[in-house]
Amino acid sequence: MSLFLQTIICGILLGAMYALIAIGMTLIMGVMKIINLAHGALVMVGMYITYFCFKEWGIDPYLGMFISMPILFFIGCIIQKYLINRLVEVDSILPENQVLLTVGIMLVLTETMRLIFKSDYRSVATSYSSSTFFLGDISISIPMTIGFLIAMIFTWLLHLFLTRTDLGRSIRATAQDRDAAIYMGVNAPRITVITFGIGSALAAAGGSLLLPLFYLWPDIGHLFTAKAFIITILGGMGSTMGALFGGLTLGIAESLGATYISMGYKDVVGLIIFLLVLLFLPGGFKSLTRR
Amino acid sequence: MKKYLAILAVLAMVMGVTVTAGCGGGGSQQEQGAQNVVKVGVILPLTGTEAMFGTMEKNSMEMAYEELKAAGKTTVNGKEIKLIFEDDQSKQDAAKAAAEKLINQDKVAMLSGGYSSANTNVIAGTAQSKGIPFLIVTGSADKITKQGWQWVFRGAAAPSSKYTSALWDLFDKKIKPRNVAIIYENTDFGTSSAEAFRAACKARGINVVFDQGYEKGAIDFKPMLANMKKANPDVVFAVSYVMDASLIVKQMKELDFNPRLFVGGAAGYTMPEFLENAGNAAEYVASTTLWVPSVSWKGASDYFKKYKEKYGKEPDYHGAQAYATMYVIADALGRAKDFTPAGIQKALKETDLMTIMGPIKFEDWEGYTNQDKPTTYVVQWQKGKLEVVWPEEAASGKLVFPVPKWSERK
Repeated sequence: MSLFLQTIICGILLGAMYALIAIGMTLIMGVMKIINLAHGALVMVGMYITYFCFKEWGIDPYLGMFISMPILFFIGCIIQKYLINRLVEVDSILPENQVLLTVGIMLVLTETMRLIFKSDYRSVATSYSSSTFFLGDISISIPMTIGFLIAMIFTWLLHLFLTRTDLGRSIRATAQDRDAAIYMGVNAPRITVITFGIGSALAAAGGSLLLPLFYLWPDIGHLFTAKAFIITILGGMGSTMGALFGGLTLGIAESLGATYISMGYKDVVGLIIFLLVLLFLPGGFKSLTRR
Repeated sequence: MKKYLAILAVLAMVMGVTVTAGCGGGGSQQEQGAQNVVKVGVILPLTGTEAMFGTMEKNSMEMAYEELKAAGKTTVNGKEIKLIFEDDQSKQDAAKAAAEKLINQDKVAMLSGGYSSANTNVIAGTAQSKGIPFLIVTGSADKITKQGWQWVFRGAAAPSSKYTSALWDLFDKKIKPRNVAIIYENTDFGTSSAEAFRAACKARGINVVFDQGYEKGAIDFKPMLANMKKANPDVVFAVSYVMDASLIVKQMKELDFNPRLFVGGAAGYTMPEFLENAGNAAEYVASTTLWVPSVSWKGASDYFKKYKEKYGKEPDYHGAQAYATMYVIADALGRAKDFTPAGIQKALKETDLMTIMGPIKFEDWEGYTNQDKPTTYVVQWQKGKLEVVWPEEAASGKLVFPVPKWSERK
């Protein structure tokens, strides 16, 4: 029993951080209808900024987050404004050319970081990196719990922002029907710029939360892109709550797979869920709730 | 639905996209000088997950090359040895492409490099089919030199099942474990190391109470470790990549899991990064290894110091392998009658050279072809330093066994 609980708790804690990363992707996908394959690379850049703050000035990763988030917001805005929006304006032969562009962006970000930081593995050894508390005989990692809580808070704030503010409503309107939103006076290009900024900032937040637990190297982005993509499909494009449940589902599934099947098949479990959802629930979890 | 599958296809394409980022050592622009150079193609992971090791090996090879140059050993019969580095991006398909490019376009006289076992095996297969000598730096899965491939040589690297020779000696004489757990990354190297360990346990009647592979690069090992804790092994044997290694020992500490000894199967457990990330959880972790800076082979500690000075980082056995391999290459080319593949193959076969990895000879034994017989050691982290604890004649410290429980440590 305790093994089962241990597994579930590990899955939930990790899943929430996956979800935070994926929410950025799902927002961008919902509004722009493009697959942003540079998303993981943005997570990586955010992690490097947080890491740099820690190494140079001794700023704790949980505070460094608030430095890397605005920087990533800015980078995201620049990418959208000067790269992606320009592509949206031209009619191209390939509708997927935005995807190719994001791959290009991913490569540039990855190699730039490699140039600056080399390929070495970096990690942030904080005093609490491997601190735990025990509930009975279940061990719970403190940084994971903090990460879980912050991820939840951010998700909730984003949800409020999208449902309660004018800007948030404009973002949702653009996601639902871009043309109609434009007729209603929504400045769609500006909205996309802000959305990409927010998505990037959330990516940086998710990365920074993982930093005390995990480690960092320039190619880490692929891992996050793959996870975020699966979660986005699970949750349904553009749905924050969907992404949250998608993240938790993936986290729990991976943990259960690791405990009861074998850790060697952990990633396979995620992909199987991905395929099952595509087959039986093409709209993702979002389609279950009629909102 | 269709759209998503299309996207998935694109995603798959992207993950496997071929990037020529870190460019090699200059390529082949200087064709006019082709008359007076002899080219050696070196394939190493300079980008991707294994880039850190590839970079260390490239640096070490270049350092060795400079030393050889200063000694006038890089020019043989008026021809200068020229290294052409290619990046395998830590991917098998890119490794194959790199090998084919070096053989067909650059017309290299021989190949070297090979970090991961999977990629090394691909390069070895290509070299064998094209009849070009290939001297392996690191890739150590047993099967690579067990296929009777005459063109493939492995000097500075042991077959992975032999990494544990010194460890078994220690087990038999001192530790005598009854129940062991095996965890390993499900790569060629991890699988073949685990297989050999399993067989050795069986031969001695040791119970394997837990035995599982895992996908490298995971964030959370706790489910697997909690499972292993339940099996209650005396000794844990783990074959891991560097950062997995540090996460595994940290999370063992988090779970308050206390085996009497934790032994790593080389790879990740001897790296400076392991200590850096694992912090005090690295204390008393033992590991098998092929080389330590304090080993008595001539030049070993000099290499370590020089590398650290030049690149500002500590090298481990991977760097030493590359450094020694460069010396073997220069030695073989220096003795080769001509620079045809057959001439170089013959010269390699007759190698008998003392290097910082010990004496290197290519022999056929126990079903291996052109395989050196390496020396292995058991090391243990003690107070943030790696001490050799076995064999006793090479020991720099005393083995701590059984290791104190987490709760009893400061």
